[in-house]
Amino acid sequence: MKHHPFLLVVATVVATLTAVHTMGCGASRSARSLAAEQVYVAPGELDKYYAFLSGGQSGSVFVVGIPSGRLIREIPVFEPRAAYGYAMNDNDPRRQELVATGGVWADTHHPVLSETDGMPNGKYLWINDLANGRLARIRLDYFETDRIVKIPNLQGAHGIAVVSPNTKYIVVNGEFEQPTDGLLTNPAPYTSVVAFVDPDSMEVKFEVRVNGNIDIADTSKDGRYSFSTVYNLEQGKDMGSMIQYDRDAVAAIDIPAAEKAVAAGRGEMRHGVPILDPESNPGVLTLIPVPKNPHGINVTPDGRYAIAAGKLSPTVTIIDAHTLKIVAEPEVGLGPLHTTFDNRGNAFTSLFLDSQVVKWNIDKAVAGAPDYIVDRINVHYNIGHLQAVGGDHTHPAGDYLIALNKLSKDMYVPVGPDLPENQEIIDISGEKMRLLASFPTPPEPHDATFMAVAVLKPLVHQTYTPAADAVVAGQERVVRTAPHAVTVDMTLIRSAYTPDSFQVREGDQVTLKVTNIETIRDMIHGFALPDHNLNIALAPGYTKTMTFEASKPGVYWYYCTNFCSALHLEMRGRMMVQPKDSTVTLADWHAAANVQGQVVPGVPSTGAKP
Amino acid sequence: MKARALHVAAAALMAAALAFPLWGFAMAAPQYPDETLHLQVTRTGIAGDVLEVSTLQHFIGVRFPTDLPELKWATRAIVAFAALLLVGAFVGAGTAGRVYRVLCAVALVVFLIASAGVVQARLYQVGHDRDPGSPLRGMHDFTPPLVGPARVGNFTVWSFPHAGAVLLLAAAVLTVAGSRKAAV
Repeated sequence: MKHHPFLLVVATVVATLTAVHTMGCGASRSARSLAAEQVYVAPGELDKYYAFLSGGQSGSVFVVGIPSGRLIREIPVFEPRAAYGYAMNDNDPRRQELVATGGVWADTHHPVLSETDGMPNGKYLWINDLANGRLARIRLDYFETDRIVKIPNLQGAHGIAVVSPNTKYIVVNGEFEQPTDGLLTNPAPYTSVVAFVDPDSMEVKFEVRVNGNIDIADTSKDGRYSFSTVYNLEQGKDMGSMIQYDRDAVAAIDIPAAEKAVAAGRGEMRHGVPILDPESNPGVLTLIPVPKNPHGINVTPDGRYAIAAGKLSPTVTIIDAHTLKIVAEPEVGLGPLHTTFDNRGNAFTSLFLDSQVVKWNIDKAVAGAPDYIVDRINVHYNIGHLQAVGGDHTHPAGDYLIALNKLSKDMYVPVGPDLPENQEIIDISGEKMRLLASFPTPPEPHDATFMAVAVLKPLVHQTYTPAADAVVAGQERVVRTAPHAVTVDMTLIRSAYTPDSFQVREGDQVTLKVTNIETIRDMIHGFALPDHNLNIALAPGYTKTMTFEASKPGVYWYYCTNFCSALHLEMRGRMMVQPKDSTVTLADWHAAANVQGQVVPGVPSTGAKP
Repeated sequence: MKARALHVAAAALMAAALAFPLWGFAMAAPQYPDETLHLQVTRTGIAGDVLEVSTLQHFIGVRFPTDLPELKWATRAIVAFAALLLVGAFVGAGTAGRVYRVLCAVALVVFLIASAGVVQARLYQVGHDRDPGSPLRGMHDFTPPLVGPARVGNFTVWSFPHAGAVLLLAAAVLTVAGSRKAAV
């Protein structure tokens, strides 16, 4: 058989290309396998860390497992969530707080953990609502929001931080400056405040006035100072005039000095909160000049330095956290926004414009050594915050870092014009950073913080201890408490509501108290009532009280929305609303409405009931 | 050890047995990881994960036994045996005393075997006397063994003697040993 020379050439070229291609795949496949193995958490195994990510305009907090990147839970905070039975009814205390403090939506940015000796103790997580100037607290024993408060005298609650090392206050920065009297009657320049909130009572203990837009917050590890970046010292009201000055500032507030001034009655009371004017209280506020319009401020784990990110300047400003003197201002790249740390003296700064994380050595940068940049890695795209495990506490783990990117572009399958957010998990245990994996979330995580599963897991409850006012099995009841008011006490357990029917009259105000009397974890039941804007979920042991008006006559089936058992679909009951003008007595109506389908003896299970 | 000491010890073990559960059940299923359900039969009734087990039994028509008169009788018998054994320790080394102890030993062994029979009958009843109107189809009747595993639906149910039963057995062994001793 004769071969055409041209075919031979083609065959050789194809064979060579195939070989090269295969070799290339082989090399990249082993790197991929290595990365995959690092983030692979086999079914049934647990992640090493809880990552708490702010939900941004979702108004919530996302809980993600690290290193797997699996979204494990959304903790609703500022938005009602039917699926968790959160803030769905007017009678819900969280809903009442939300409505009273600014509405049922928010813009959450910075999750911060309660600390003991500079390390998270697993008690609380606080999250801000930038938009409506609020602060919420989440109990970590139940992963649920337990307080929402409005911070008086500020608009735009942006940066927040826990006062280390033992959670003395939560610092809340007011970003959007206001006329000093909060009204349009005072022609004086706008100003804002840094608020110091008591972690237990959630009351604002005092505020310190700062001129300009107060941005990101952190605190010194010894409890002495809070640090806030401040931009727009010009106090401009449009973008052009906000970037005139060559330098803005880091505002360092001497907390003991402020407390002393407040105790001496030097605060001007406004909305029940003493506000300290730094002009008349010297020593409380120190403005440290940094390149204009800075953004992040992060204190090193050893508490030596506060590092301000340049944003519009390609530098970070290293400030001695005890003397408040600037010790270095190294260049790190374009658009530095935030910094985090490992346990080997390295800092990692997010570069928004370069779409990179830059790793640099703190001691070398302070000493002015030329080789302080250790490594750079590309992230996708326009990174905002970044956080290494423990980088915001005194003992960083030095293993994983997550990049919270602002844009995802081509990273995921297209899902229409509203693209998901993209987070990336980076291995920082070696000299060189390694991108391991990415995971998408709904909009829009800004910042993150971590807790070791080994520390937090033992503190987490998986069922509720029934409250004192819980409905007890056998004590369910339907009671008319007033001419137009009915109270129903109900229990839920697989696979029934007790009572499985109740009657009210058209126009009755119904107060429905429901207890899930299950004792086994994950046996969640729902209570959905069609056409009454009522749907809640109840975890085992939980009691919820709902109020509504039975305004439309008819039969309404309440049913379980959380698939619970083999009889989940049968788990339902009736609310019967008797028409106002009906002449039928309730007793008659009840009897008529309770006629059951007849079970015919001997009919096999496949036979239909009449 | 002599007969008296053995009988005093046996009487003490029998009395102690009442302070512990007599029989135990462990129920494991895939959807109960690290949370195997446990029931203990004590002299007053059934304790443990009663709410959960009765919730589950509803699906397969098992009637959760709430009334167990045999427990009352067993308790009385155990108290009586403890007293009889204590008497046996002091009835002397003569023929009458020895006969008394042998009769006690025989009676105790018979009592324990009969009790085991009653428990097994109860287990048979639980697995067979089921509500025909129960929700789940395709569930066959079952008989958990006195000791060991049984498959019931998606559950593996282990039956086993609890501390109380072990103490009763130990008391029986000591009693039998004591009845064979000539010296008091």
